[in-house]
Parts: sequence; C-alpha cells; structure tokens
Amino acid sequence: MTKIIMTKAIALGLALFLATFSGAVLAADSELTVEDAYVRMPPPGARVGAAFMIIGNPTSAARKLVRAQSPAAKVVELHTHRVHEGYMQMRKIDAIEISAAGRVELKPGAYHLMLIDLKTGSKEGDTVPITLFFDDGKSKRIAVPLRRDVVPTSSESGAKN
Amino acid sequence: MKRAGAILIAVTGVALALATLLYFMPLPGSTPAVSNEPRAEGGDFVLTSAAGPIALADFRGKLVVIYFGYTFCPDACPTSLGALAAALAQLPAEAAKNVRGIFVSLDPERDTPEILRDYAPYFHPAIVGVSGTPREIAAVARQYGVIYSKQRADAAGNYAVDHSSFLYLVAPDGKLAHKLAHGASPAEIAAKIQSVLKSANSSQ
Repeated sequence: MTKIIMTKAIALGLALFLATFSGAVLAADSELTVEDAYVRMPPPGARVGAAFMIIGNPTSAARKLVRAQSPAAKVVELHTHRVHEGYMQMRKIDAIEISAAGRVELKPGAYHLMLIDLKTGSKEGDTVPITLFFDDGKSKRIAVPLRRDVVPTSSESGAKN
Repeated sequence: MKRAGAILIAVTGVALALATLLYFMPLPGSTPAVSNEPRAEGGDFVLTSAAGPIALADFRGKLVVIYFGYTFCPDACPTSLGALAAALAQLPAEAAKNVRGIFVSLDPERDTPEILRDYAPYFHPAIVGVSGTPREIAAVARQYGVIYSKQRADAAGNYAVDHSSFLYLVAPDGKLAHKLAHGASPAEIAAKIQSVLKSANSSQ
C-alpha cells in the first residue's frame, strides 16, 4: 500500500518537475511564422474542432512541429488526413515537418490540429490561445480566431421549407 | 477494302468495350483493384432522429442528399457537410425547397439522436441527423456501399472511425441517382442536384 503511494508521489513529483523544467526551457520564441490561422468551430454537439494555419520557416534548417497545446482544449493532437483504400483516415502523428526556407499548410483535407473537448460557448471571432512546440525546443504562442467555416444560410435561399 | 472494313469493326468493338469498362469503373476515390465496396443500390431505410423515426420514404418527392460520418470527426465530415450546406445555399429557391439532407452517424455508440439534433442543422436547417443501433447502421451503410471501421480507443477513450466519404443523391422517386466523391465543390454539388432534379421533372 505504502509502496503504491510512494510510487504515485514520485510520479507526481517527476511530472511537476518536468512541467516546470520544460516550461522554462521552452520559453524561447521560435523564429517560425504563422499566417491565416483559424479554428473551425466545433458544431453544437461535437467535441472536436480543428485548427488550420500556414507555418513558415524562414530559417536555413528544417524544423518539426512536435506538439501543440491550448488551455481551451483538453487535448491538442497533430493530425494528418489521408485516403487509404477508400477510407478517410484522420490519424494522430508525431510531427509535422517544415522544410528550411519552406512552409507547410494545415488545411481541410490535409494536416490539422485536432482540438478535443474544446470549451464551447465561445463565439465566432473569439480567439483560442494555442502554443506550438518545435523540435529545437522553441515555441510559439498564437491567438487563433474561431471561424464558423460554414456558409451562412441566407433567408432568400428558401431552404427553410 | 474488305480488310479496312474489318479493321474498322475491330476498332469500334475495342472502343465500345473500353467505353463499357470505363462506364462501370468505380468512381474516383475508391481503388478499383482492391475495392471493398459492395455493389450498392441504395434504397429505403428507417433510422432514429431526436424527434422520432425518420424514413427515407418520408421524403419521397424531394431530392435527398445523404452523408455518412460521425460527430467526433475533426475534418472530413465538417468539410463535406459544409460543402453540402454551401451548395444548398447556392440553389435557386424553387430547387432548394425540394432538397433535404440526411446525416447518418457511423458512430452510433457516441452519436445519440440528441447530439445529432444539435449537430446536423448547424450546417444547414434542411439537414437532419439520424442514428440507430449498430446493426441498423451497418445495414444502411451496406445498402449504400459505405465502408467504415472503428479504430482502437486511446487512453482517454477517444477513437476515430475511418470511413468512405461520398454525398449520395437520392432522386425524388427514392432511387440512388448519383454519388459525389469527397472534395466536390459546392458549385459541383449544386449543379449535380439541379441536374438530378431536372431529369426527375422531365420524367414525370
């Protein structure tokens, strides 16, 4: 019994240490740029939203996006979207590479950040803070606007019966 | 001269065979060699909405666009439903009033009719969300040639459902008229809807 408590205490200590330590190390701002970022708002009832953006790498070394987090979502996963034998597969991946002096586009049908259990109640135009972590230990904090990304139904469309 | 005629017949024959082959080839997006899509003819079904049972036959006389997906879907489903919504918004009023959408959940364990009631009309008020028992969903998916596969859950219990992504256009007489591959633009979807509606009107 005490052994389990001991193990738990050690694990907790280690987690706290790592959290503090990594936080300090990752404070350095990345030189990478982010443009046209938006979070597609989760529809009512849905637990997931997706973030899209263009990440530019002005440096002469290839970089990898290795993690992302947001205080507004329980989990943020890097995702790829591919078609395999007729199946749409949206899969968690470990990294998204941004080539030297290149850029990568996160867009529908391709890479995206999946935000799980995004706190809803926010409205279009509100921003979601997201921190991107790169493989050189640097990070970038961005404020990403929520976008409905659905064409508004105009009253003259006549679709409302 | 006789020989030229024979060649002409042979060439025509080959061309006809090729055309037939092309005509019956699966739509782009599926892989012909390893196609696991059964021959699907669509057809009637009854599934469950928050307001009660929804039968495809309830919409006879209207064109119905069916999409199969799940609400935990981060990209493919919102993209397809968004494109459908945009297409519906582009339609002239007299066409739009004859079109309905049905979103069928491939994840009946998580997608309750109540969740779908909130989800589907967000894209467009003409779209209704339906769920059912896993067996009912499997039967409808088979009818339409939809393939799907629930993936293993992660530590938090979250999982993806891999699935094929087409928009199925059911003509006003209830027959499956066309399926549109994932990535079709709102303009393409709207044009196809109008052409199916037009041929339905002319055959009346």
